[in-house]
Amino acid sequence: MSTTEPTPTPTTLGSEFYLWLWWRSEEEAGRFDVGESGERIELFVDDRLAFRIPGETKVTAVLTGDNASESVEAKAALFGGKILQELRVRLRRDDRDFVVTLKGPEVHLTRVKLPQVLGDNEFEAILDRMSSYDELVWLVGELFTAFGRERASDAWTQDIEPRLRAWVEGSVRG
Amino acid sequence: MSLMSGALTVRRFRVVGEDPDGWREIYRDRLQEHAFKDSPVEPGKEEREGWVQVHNLLDTSFEDFDRWLYNDLILVGLRVDKKVLPAKLFKATLAKRIEAWSQENGDQRAPKTVREELRERLEEEWLKRALPRVSVAELCINLTERYAVIDSLSESVAERLRKQVYRTFGFNLVPFSPLDAVNDPSLRDALVNLSPSYVGDPSTSQGVS
Repeated sequence: MSTTEPTPTPTTLGSEFYLWLWWRSEEEAGRFDVGESGERIELFVDDRLAFRIPGETKVTAVLTGDNASESVEAKAALFGGKILQELRVRLRRDDRDFVVTLKGPEVHLTRVKLPQVLGDNEFEAILDRMSSYDELVWLVGELFTAFGRERASDAWTQDIEPRLRAWVEGSVRG
Repeated sequence: MSLMSGALTVRRFRVVGEDPDGWREIYRDRLQEHAFKDSPVEPGKEEREGWVQVHNLLDTSFEDFDRWLYNDLILVGLRVDKKVLPAKLFKATLAKRIEAWSQENGDQRAPKTVREELRERLEEEWLKRALPRVSVAELCINLTERYAVIDSLSESVAERLRKQVYRTFGFNLVPFSPLDAVNDPSLRDALVNLSPSYVGDPSTSQGVS
């Protein structure tokens, strides 16, 4: 892509992606398939979720701590019309662990913990660190693409959106 | 926070632009040309900026490739110095000086030109004594994958780096969109044109469609 124009990005698409990750991770016990080969990775929501009101950028509710995503308050925020602004997730690919807070409509990677650096010297350490960063970018990009395929399909409105609503309402109404 | 160690927080860009033949030497020379330079005279309030090594913000030489080029990765810092005076203390001191002038000259109120001169003199005096506020934003450019990351989410830092990268390397840094990760152009277009999807209860929502 060589254009100097930024790709236009709907402001709620990132929030929908975070919601989809959260929902899928609960529905599929953290199992996601990525890449052309359908490689299995694991993803779980970690210890931070931040919400905002649609049309605004300021975070209006933050949930942190162990099992934050399983709390009634988390689903209640969605039920009350808020959308996700940040989601902290833990990814595992083979024996490599990544922890990252996905942030904002741009899906910024923040507070990233990469797998331990293996390089023996500074040169190798920097290359190894940036290679791990590239791997994380690839994983998030694959997950976003998988979300995008479902989001752009008819199945979204006919099947997935109703299931998402039921998932949220079920938690709140008990 | 740093690109080299610790938890990573980054803003990502696409890099648009070509590398010239002999880019290693050309980029070395351009980095040197735009490196942070100590001012020959005591700087005033103006900001000063330039490239430094990420290892130490006092290292401003790019002659040694091993200090900034890691295979196809350029890793450098943009140092910005700005002298800032303590506003309340400055205002109070200036008021005292104006008061002293008025007493010395038997005037109820110092004329505007005098007040302005006293302000400039005090500012000059204090700026000579003040140490600058120093910040460094780190930048990594991957020349093969044509992306760049900076260790800040700040819009103003991003804008400053974009301008300095253009001046130094001739690259445009284009803000990255998550849609740039979608390789299928038709899927990308479809996602751009979607209406928002909300799961909240419309009867309780605030601004939910």
